[in-house]
Amino acid sequence: MLLREVEYAKPGSVAEALELLAANDGARALAGGQTLINVMKARAASPDMVVDLNGLAELKGIELAGDGRLTIGAMTTYTELMGSAEAKARPILGEVCATIADVQVRNRGTIGGNVCSNDPTNHLPPLMVAVGARMTIAGAEGEREVQAEEFFLGVYLTAVGPGELLTRISIPAGKKDGFAAVTLGADGTCIANAAASVNGSVRVALGCVDAVPVLVTAESAGGVADAVRAANLMPPSDVHASSEYRTHLAGVLATRAAQEAAAR
Amino acid sequence: MDVAVTVNGTTYERDVEPRKLLIHFLRDDLDLTGSHVGCDTGNCGACSVILDGVLVKSCMLLAVQANGASVETVEGLADGDELTPLQQAFNEHHALQCGYCTPGMLMSATALLRENPSPSGDEIAKALQGNICRCTGYWNIVEAVKLAAK
Amino acid sequence: MSQTTLAPEKVEVQKGWGGQSVRRKEDKRLLQGEGVFVDDVKRHGMGYLHFVRSPYAHAHITRVDVSRAEAIDGVYGTLTGEEVAALTEPFFQISSVPGANIKDYALAVGKVRYVGESVVAVVAETRELARDASELVEVDYEPLPAVVDARKAQDADAPVLHDDAGGNLMWSGLYSWGDLDAAFAEADRVVKIPELHFHRFNSTPLECDGALVEYNRGVAQWTIHTNNQFPGFAAIMMGPAMKVGLDKLRFVTQDIGGGFGNKITSHPQLVVCCLLARKLNRPVQWTEWRTDFHLSMSHGNERWFHDTEVAVKDDGTLLGFRTKALDDAGAWLRYEPLGGVIWAQVTPGMYRWKHIELDFTQVATNKAPCSPNRGYSRMQHLWFTERVIDIVAHELGLDPVEVRKRNYVRAEEMPYTTPNGCVYDSGDYAAMLDLALELVGYESMEARRAEAKERGKLLGVGIGSTLDSGTNNFGQSRLINPELQFSGNNEVATVKLDIFGEIVVTLGTTPQGQGHETTAAQVVADILNCSVDDVHVRAGHDSYWNSHAGFSGTYASQFAVTGLSAVKGATEMLAAEIKKLAGAVFGGVPPEALELADGGVRIKESPDAFLPFMACGAIINANNAGLPEDLDVTLNCRYVYRPPFEVPDVETKTGNLTLTYAVQIHVAVVEVDPETGAYEIVDYAAVDDCGKRINPQIVEGQVMGATAQAIGAAVHETYEYDEDGNLLTPNFYDYHVPHALDMPPLATGATESPSPFTPLGTKGMGEGGGAGIHAICAAIQDATGQAVTDSHNPYQRVWRLLQEDRA
Repeated sequence: MLLREVEYAKPGSVAEALELLAANDGARALAGGQTLINVMKARAASPDMVVDLNGLAELKGIELAGDGRLTIGAMTTYTELMGSAEAKARPILGEVCATIADVQVRNRGTIGGNVCSNDPTNHLPPLMVAVGARMTIAGAEGEREVQAEEFFLGVYLTAVGPGELLTRISIPAGKKDGFAAVTLGADGTCIANAAASVNGSVRVALGCVDAVPVLVTAESAGGVADAVRAANLMPPSDVHASSEYRTHLAGVLATRAAQEAAAR
Repeated sequence: MDVAVTVNGTTYERDVEPRKLLIHFLRDDLDLTGSHVGCDTGNCGACSVILDGVLVKSCMLLAVQANGASVETVEGLADGDELTPLQQAFNEHHALQCGYCTPGMLMSATALLRENPSPSGDEIAKALQGNICRCTGYWNIVEAVKLAAK
Repeated sequence: MSQTTLAPEKVEVQKGWGGQSVRRKEDKRLLQGEGVFVDDVKRHGMGYLHFVRSPYAHAHITRVDVSRAEAIDGVYGTLTGEEVAALTEPFFQISSVPGANIKDYALAVGKVRYVGESVVAVVAETRELARDASELVEVDYEPLPAVVDARKAQDADAPVLHDDAGGNLMWSGLYSWGDLDAAFAEADRVVKIPELHFHRFNSTPLECDGALVEYNRGVAQWTIHTNNQFPGFAAIMMGPAMKVGLDKLRFVTQDIGGGFGNKITSHPQLVVCCLLARKLNRPVQWTEWRTDFHLSMSHGNERWFHDTEVAVKDDGTLLGFRTKALDDAGAWLRYEPLGGVIWAQVTPGMYRWKHIELDFTQVATNKAPCSPNRGYSRMQHLWFTERVIDIVAHELGLDPVEVRKRNYVRAEEMPYTTPNGCVYDSGDYAAMLDLALELVGYESMEARRAEAKERGKLLGVGIGSTLDSGTNNFGQSRLINPELQFSGNNEVATVKLDIFGEIVVTLGTTPQGQGHETTAAQVVADILNCSVDDVHVRAGHDSYWNSHAGFSGTYASQFAVTGLSAVKGATEMLAAEIKKLAGAVFGGVPPEALELADGGVRIKESPDAFLPFMACGAIINANNAGLPEDLDVTLNCRYVYRPPFEVPDVETKTGNLTLTYAVQIHVAVVEVDPETGAYEIVDYAAVDDCGKRINPQIVEGQVMGATAQAIGAAVHETYEYDEDGNLLTPNFYDYHVPHALDMPPLATGATESPSPFTPLGTKGMGEGGGAGIHAICAAIQDATGQAVTDSHNPYQRVWRLLQEDRA
């Protein structure tokens, strides 16, 4: 509780938000706040200014194109995504969002916030990598697109640079996806997770085992365990899991996610 | 910063520091002490309120973010001394012991019942997942919400 | 999640209010957000207190400079350890030497001994500013090596926390009863268990500690609005330390957001608030936040059991055991080393073995201080006895159900005297076990096991059978320290008839959700023959109400005995006085010719001669001219209930340590995923016997709550430290307590064996003895086929057990 002093700005447009972020080194974008506010309560981070993205219509909305590609505004909440008819085109998205924390967090927390915070235990970074999402980043120079595999750079670090914002996420058509996790209690923090997508070959992205999601591929679900072994994972140990246990879980969960995906 | 927040139908205009969390604004500035603080990481839900129709944890947003919004808290549930069916069901089913989590629990269940007037036991548990209770083990809370849903 | 309830068959037709699930009187205010919890109390001009805490587990404090903090506009002042040492005496120590020698102050003096220890307090105009200023307090530390593993605390090269104690040993004592040599000579088998470990956790009440303290300079008296759950204990700790009489410390409480024992030892923080309220001449408000609580408050005792040897017959008859208990007290003895004797209330568990030796050692480590936690010290020991039973059954290839039934104390042996002189009052343990097994469908368990196996899951079923000993004989403290002058127990209630006939009840307790206002009203209504709605029980506690005694408070499973017996006593006094008064008013009618009914008193033979309570109250309080001079009636009756106890024998360490023994038998069914070690509790039954139940719904609520806490502790909750003494679970992210979706289906049942020793046949209950932890450990053992030796079994540990199986 009890944050350090901070300045608050509520821009009326993405352009204004970008200006504010570019003009203030110590400014941070405030999305759903379900991570950032916590970090500020602990005074682990104390931005000079928060730029509140809530209310920016440009960052909202879910569109389904004729080819089945989904475009999701970065400020879409988990709840909005779960309730969206369009988002059902890729069912795994709503299914995974429904297991994130709790109603209150899902009502406020956003897709963009989840990927931009890139906490290694988050659900969406591996899912975005597995489904081959493309992330649109806006900055003073205009917009650019980054593949999910290149988007995640380190713990709490992504391709969104200073003065930039993630504006939307684009996800190709597909239904053959799976997600498996061992969590700290039902719908709790992930101890290890894996997202899989089958599109001919199998793509599995592993969470909680490295600073960024680890992508492995295999010809079939049966080959996933070997692919995970070949990845030579060196996950961190913490109070919930040793490196050894996480490595083991990664193999099991990757196979389960791939089997679920293949079975759809 | 000057803000105007409507809480349980009354509009309050106050000057608040941007760093103040909505829960502290409600409790300390407005003296609406029904909503509680049980953690400092947004896990416990004791501070849950309904913000423009949406259930949120009031420790997870700044008071300035509620500027212009309408907030519902536990103090606004009953009509004077007339408890809501949900509050009555909590009493009947012994769904509270120390009562500290109760305001947040009631707000979560209220939000659920508005959206889903006859939820199953599993749906109720899922809807209360963001509210920690250390006294009851939740069983009687789920039963109370079921009773209120009838 | 679903629940089933199986109530006992009524042994008699219930008349009146006792025995009914009367709806709680407390609820209305709590449901409307109108409870008054400590952080809701505000005073004009109050300052907010924030503690500067130690980042080191062990370090010398070489310099403290508060000048930068104090220079900030809006900062009212600070308090340092040096000031505390000058203004106060160290807290009284319960321990004999060497623990008796430590010097414990309200703030760290010269040295810090755990991460999160309070070093300086800062008071400012707002909460946020107080925290800002606390960041400007400069403290220089000279870090020292830390000891976090109790097993290494007595090593020759171990860092020493308290030089005054000459080492990390705080207290030790050898308990030996029966004839161990004979037992082992008679045994067919000796089962050896090298190490068992009961982990560190606590019940994490949702409301953390707090206080608002006002100082009345004119009369040199503090009013302490706080959620401390044992103000009597806080007072005897604080008064001598602050060098003031106890009447200068007025404790006031209304609603408390859960306690579970964790709110007994906030006296150091309360002293800081008091000193600052006096120093700054303004009310001081302190709210403890969740991370502060996890770092510094009332962890449950972590305990190791080493070199256990169990003497058994081939048929599973238990003869005796010997073990070495090593208890980790953390950095300070705030209620310890009482845990070193409290376990002895349940020395043999629920079993008939006669020969027991337990060598108890308590050490200090660089971790948060331990204090009571629901099931205090008995839970650790009962977990041990239950683990022993299941490990013995495992090694001998016997059925855990049969081993229990063979060794349970039997119904016909009640009251049963244990090897150390405690008296188990009543109960039929085997019948309760049968009921619990029936509730989980034990008959069909093998079929379920096979069905689970087809789904790739390992099913296991486990029993946790425990005692919930209540109403302490504080004389047991003398087994820790023969110099102590405590014994017995007491509780107070005052019942009065006010001027307009209102029945007003004042309790000495500090309830935290146990429904005292309701159950007290039920007892009063039955005696005065009125409605519970006519009885007003004051909410909370105020030591200025003069309705408390030395042991008043709400802790250790005793309200149903001590509190309600006090209520009963006071109400009976009032009833007698009402009759005495009415007899006089009616012109010399003897009391036995009168009865209480319909909100008044009347002559049995001529019911028209009726005096309403209102008239009684009015006559005594406001219209008393002409009453007989010798009429000894005040209609304001204070009764102190004193349980029948003797002082235990210090030499043999025997005596009756608690008055009642409620019983809980739980059965858990788990399904383990053998690939991940993750498991789910798929079925659960809890059967309780607490004697006469005044309000069965409240009793069941306590059973449910204790169950949920045990499930949390068994599966997820742990205060784990790294080797430098950093707490790895300082918040509800990493310290995962059960949420709604984590709860299994629950079936509850009850039997009712009235206590022969208590005025109402009741037994204290509510702690549950950790039955769920025992049951889950046993179920995991059953599922994995591996002996479970730790009370905390996260998925990772279960996965490791399965690896051992493969190896």
